[in-house]
Amino acid sequence: MASVLHRAHLAVPVAFILILGCVLPLAVLLVFSVFEVDLDAFTLVPAFSGQSWTQMFTNPVFTFLIGKSVVSGAGTALLAALIGYPIAVSMTRLPVLWKGIGSIVLLTPLYTGEIVRIYAWRVVLGSEGLVNAALKWLGVIDEPVKFLLFSPFTTHLVLLYNNLPFMVLAIWISAELIDKRLIEAARDLGARPIDAFFKVILPLTTPGLAVGVFTVFALAAGDMMTPSLLGGTSGATPMAMIDNLFGTAFDWPLASALSLSLLVILFAFATGFVTILLRFDGARAVFRRGAP
Amino acid sequence: MAGSGVSRREVLAGIAAGAAAGMFGSLSSAKAAVSEMVWATWDSNGHPEYIAAFEAQTGVKVKLSYLSSEDAQFAALKTGTASDWDMINPSLNGSWRYIKAGLLEEIDMAKIPNAAKMYDVFKTTPKVLDASGKQFAVPYLWGLNPIVYRKDKFESEPDYTTLFNEKYKGQLAMRDYALESIGIAGLVAGVPRDKVFLMETKELAEAKKLLVAQKPLLRTYWQTIGDLTNLFATGEVSCAFSWRVPYDALKDKLAMGMAKPKAGIMGWCDCFAMPATLSAEKSEIGYKFIDYLLGAEFATQIAKIGNYATTSSIIRDELSKEQQAAIFVDDMDVMKSFMWPVAPENYSEWLKIWNEVKAS
Repeated sequence: MASVLHRAHLAVPVAFILILGCVLPLAVLLVFSVFEVDLDAFTLVPAFSGQSWTQMFTNPVFTFLIGKSVVSGAGTALLAALIGYPIAVSMTRLPVLWKGIGSIVLLTPLYTGEIVRIYAWRVVLGSEGLVNAALKWLGVIDEPVKFLLFSPFTTHLVLLYNNLPFMVLAIWISAELIDKRLIEAARDLGARPIDAFFKVILPLTTPGLAVGVFTVFALAAGDMMTPSLLGGTSGATPMAMIDNLFGTAFDWPLASALSLSLLVILFAFATGFVTILLRFDGARAVFRRGAP
Repeated sequence: MAGSGVSRREVLAGIAAGAAAGMFGSLSSAKAAVSEMVWATWDSNGHPEYIAAFEAQTGVKVKLSYLSSEDAQFAALKTGTASDWDMINPSLNGSWRYIKAGLLEEIDMAKIPNAAKMYDVFKTTPKVLDASGKQFAVPYLWGLNPIVYRKDKFESEPDYTTLFNEKYKGQLAMRDYALESIGIAGLVAGVPRDKVFLMETKELAEAKKLLVAQKPLLRTYWQTIGDLTNLFATGEVSCAFSWRVPYDALKDKLAMGMAKPKAGIMGWCDCFAMPATLSAEKSEIGYKFIDYLLGAEFATQIAKIGNYATTSSIIRDELSKEQQAAIFVDDMDVMKSFMWPVAPENYSEWLKIWNEVKAS
């Protein structure tokens, strides 16, 4: 019996769950997107209508919101990569005990609930909050700095804070796997530390960087609570609009069309970013060595 | 049933009690058969202390499921995602949608003794009846949605134009809700209060223009009343179209004021209703619960703690003039100047406008 089973069969249950939990709902969304709504009877009417898709492509609000989400996700991923990279690389230099402590510290904020963190940020960044109080006490300002809270700045600061651990962890694991002898060899052959970084460390950590970018982009672009409760009047997101259309407006066809469009566009951008990163020589080298 | 730890003897007693209830029409004996009910309502209507007496009297635990919006409640019922709700909370003006969609169980007013004490305006309202005159909901709580503001930051009492005034940039907030926000913009644009919820495309475009211009003046759009109370408490907002909750919560700590704009006061009235799919034994408990909501204990608790009036006059005469004024029942003529927000037939157009304003 055991001989009939191949290692690849281990993936069957997961594949089954994926199809059931992901592909099927998407198929349902696709079907709903061409239905119509009878608002008098509050029912979905089976049809083959392009009405919601026409609205998707003609109403600039949808394009604006999806574009905003892509820019927000990409910006957060870029900043997280720039800030997270030095943290991840320095973690590889720590003694083992401190590596453990460092990773726990890094993940601690994620153990608190999102709402708790949101209200904590309000306390820190608010008009009468800690930052404004400190600036006032130092004599830097007379009036509270309003843009600290309820602005795009707040949204992106918090998105960065929430998602930074995912970037650092991915790069850190990748950096830990680098054979240290390669760096030593580069230095022995006359490479300056900066050359060793750009020619050895950075290329060999691109797989980790790619995973980090993919994760942070997806999480930041798809966030609804942070922009809605901390972004003030700039906090509109496609996610909130989908929620609104499914719930308040009972416009399931349009909500389905928007959900599918958002999914396709976010997936296309995320895949694009990762494909570009993985085309670098370093990433290819990592994958070749890992091949049997 | 097995998981809830009810013994075989209790189950048999419950069945016997249910049979007795059927034979003699006794409501109290159905007690053992239903151990809990889920009440979907606003967080301000359903504090645990308001319903503690009901739970003690009947032995039925009322589990509270707080609503985020009327529309979300309707959608949840319509799409079947709220199958655990046993008692729901449609608004007086929104009830027609639930009735038309066949989502509610017909209500037999003869089973609600306390209904006799209801104010006439609520007892005789046709808004809870279907076309054939059958009743599907019972109004139980009402009030008004004022402008709440910080008296120390405003020289005179604000009105709706204050919410659009450049002078107060960064101190204002509006609710993230199409019906009320567009309605207020309509009033500011000069639409009379009895026409606001009937606005057509041209008037809606005017309202949209005002709301787009208002957006940079706002600190934020508030999501829940707890969120707005937090915004007042932390000094982020000093004037907002509101519910009275932040006023009551903060009046002892801050110089809070409550303004009732002359252009029109948004009134609200909540109803009790039961989903059409409710079992017979649960609907019997539902009748006891609505009778409790119209009774003296609930009215006293909610007047004292929440500053809300029920639709029943049962405790009115026992209140002092100040207590009556606090819950707006000192002069019942106030009902005549209310606007009752009602989702219009072109509501999807309103929602699109609201989404466009937010994305602008």
